[in-house]
Amino acid sequence: MTATLVPPDAADVHLAESRKERRKRERLEERDGVIPVQLYGLKRGTVSVMTSCCVLFAIFTLVPIAWIIVNSTKTQANIFGTFGFWFARPFEFFHNFRMLFEDVDDDGTYINWFGNTALYAVLGGVGATALAAFAGYGFARFQFRGSKVFFYIIIGALLVPIGAITLPLYLVYAKAHLINSIWGMILPSLVSPVGVYLMRTYIGLSVPRELIDAARIDGAGETRIFFKIALPLMVPGLMTVLLLSVVGVWNNYFLPLIIFSNNNLFPLTVGMGLWSQHATTSGDQNLYPLIVMGGLVTIAPLIILFLILQRYWRGGMLLGSIAN
Amino acid sequence: MAAISLRGLTKVFATGVRAVDGLDLEVDDGEFVVLVGPSGCGKTTVLRMVAGLELITSGTVSFAGRVVNDVSPRQRDVAMVFQNYALYPHLSVYENIGFALSNQKVPRVELDRRVRDAASVLGLSELLGRKPRQLSGGQRQRVAMGRAIVRSPAVFLMDEPLSNLDAKLRVQMRSEVLRVQRAMGAATLYVTHDQTEAMTMGDRVAVLRGGVLQQYDAPRALYDHPANVFVATFIGSPAMNLYEAGLEAGGPAGTPAVVLGSQRVALPASGGQVAAGLAAYQGRKIIVGIRPEDLSLPESSASFASAASAASAGSPALSASFAPAGSPAVARLVADARVVEVLGSEQHVYFSVDATPVGGEGESAQDGLLAASAPNGVARLDPRVAVRAGTPSAERCGARVRPRGALMCRAGRKYHGPFGINVGRGHLPPVRCLRPATGR
Repeated sequence: MTATLVPPDAADVHLAESRKERRKRERLEERDGVIPVQLYGLKRGTVSVMTSCCVLFAIFTLVPIAWIIVNSTKTQANIFGTFGFWFARPFEFFHNFRMLFEDVDDDGTYINWFGNTALYAVLGGVGATALAAFAGYGFARFQFRGSKVFFYIIIGALLVPIGAITLPLYLVYAKAHLINSIWGMILPSLVSPVGVYLMRTYIGLSVPRELIDAARIDGAGETRIFFKIALPLMVPGLMTVLLLSVVGVWNNYFLPLIIFSNNNLFPLTVGMGLWSQHATTSGDQNLYPLIVMGGLVTIAPLIILFLILQRYWRGGMLLGSIAN
Repeated sequence: MAAISLRGLTKVFATGVRAVDGLDLEVDDGEFVVLVGPSGCGKTTVLRMVAGLELITSGTVSFAGRVVNDVSPRQRDVAMVFQNYALYPHLSVYENIGFALSNQKVPRVELDRRVRDAASVLGLSELLGRKPRQLSGGQRQRVAMGRAIVRSPAVFLMDEPLSNLDAKLRVQMRSEVLRVQRAMGAATLYVTHDQTEAMTMGDRVAVLRGGVLQQYDAPRALYDHPANVFVATFIGSPAMNLYEAGLEAGGPAGTPAVVLGSQRVALPASGGQVAAGLAAYQGRKIIVGIRPEDLSLPESSASFASAASAASAGSPALSASFAPAGSPAVARLVADARVVEVLGSEQHVYFSVDATPVGGEGESAQDGLLAASAPNGVARLDPRVAVRAGTPSAERCGARVRPRGALMCRAGRKYHGPFGINVGRGHLPPVRCLRPATGR
């Protein structure tokens, strides 16, 4: 063995560092990457104006969330009687929270609807993500007869508002016995044109053809290439699609409204809507704190999901794979 | 039976681009064949067709006599090293190298042994647990090699595997690739645009241009007997000097003389056969080629002064002698030295001579002021001789030409320019070459 022929490798400081060291280096590199705005040729005044606009918009967006947090701690009387953006005695946060688990006015319980929403969101969201992965990979990496046309049809589906197809949808569901069935909710949620579009674009950028070629030369079948080579590289894109589709199902109001008449199948959106309706019509004194608290609990899982998935959105998946 | 055999291989893309045109090529067992040509000449397309990654328009690819046109890449049992390595970024070096074996369902123990063997051949044993992003460029290149050799394939394909390395590493890896290929004994097709790589690595070299095979021969033969003007200029660095010229009778011993611009360079007396061959070209336009290393300063002159004095004042001319090696110069080319590049082991002197140069590939005619003073030739000289570059008619470089480098080409029947060099369809018409056989 001619070990001398093996070239000595250039000392590369990044090669063997620990995860902690890498985090630290990345943080410092980020700081080095910050360029003072003067270097972009922007005037200080321009920057101040733009920053103020951003701040105003951020306040506009965050105010409702602040309101819901503050008011989730109040009694019904205080919700209407005190300043909306500050706390008031008595502190009823835990009482309100407990009330969510009780059947109010025989409409059904919050916890039941929460379970329904979670079920629909998980099945629909995960399913939509999986289908988007398959379809996106197919459109991005295979040419077949009609592949362009099919893709344009999918893009076109993005443009059709759900309101326009309510009546035909309802009629089809009635024939297909999907009214008051959880499948009526899940099946349409599995289809995500946005997801397919995003995945196609993402795969186009992050799964190089050369890798697929290399895997074919290495004797891997197409299924194995998809799961073993392509899928791991698609993870950041998949997480985006997963988040979008879970949020989509979670917040879907219109579809469950038309297909469910059984209170026990309602998701949160429709259930809360029902409460809200009762609060205004029947004048039940204790519904508003429940609605506010219900709203807070409804958005919490999405925020948690976002924080969990965030760690998957990192660059550099392809580092070292493809030269130049 | 050839390990790889290409017959009339043709690729026409949907856009109508004819990337490869009727390629015939045979690679014997264990042979290292280099496909070389300028970028866009179809060499990578050839490789992809052999690998099965590209559909074949017409012609056949066969391995050991079996036509594999319709066989999928996974069933062709070829190994390939990609230009950009195409390592699986989420797999470790071990998994990258072992991927092909695990696809073949090789038992775990054997897989482990073969991966470790391949890794030790390439000096990767310490790095098996690393991810590609934790490797340097040279290490990544070796992982790409390891992924190919671990399968002990019958056919080994390499697509510019060294082009992403820096110059020093590239030279080191050249010998390493050769060593690995010799050890494997697999028939190898190696694609490169670098003629140095082609000359140093190939048992045989196939020169491609515009999808058409120009010449397929051993490196030495390509250099000494180029089949046409393209091969003559493509192989060799610096490139061969080519000029339009004429051939006239009237050398000292009744031998012909080459007319280069305003100069006459007498050819030496040589064997009857060559003389007879040359006689056929008398009075016709020819192309004269002179290798840069076949030009030297006349022995009689230690400096340029004497060469300059030999030339008529004011006219840029270079005197050259077509004398057998070692014999005294009988004729000279006189030229103006314009640019001198000292490389240490040699120096390149770019000169201009009042002859019309013949471009190889992609050489655009310069016009206006530039054309008058632009160098149109290069000589590779001993670095210890002081040469000073100057404006026209400043200093002149006299050079002696040894016959080995002298090449005479005549255009074939179909030609558009005076020599048929400029042809729109992307390949040269057949050009016959004559080479004075004396004085090897």
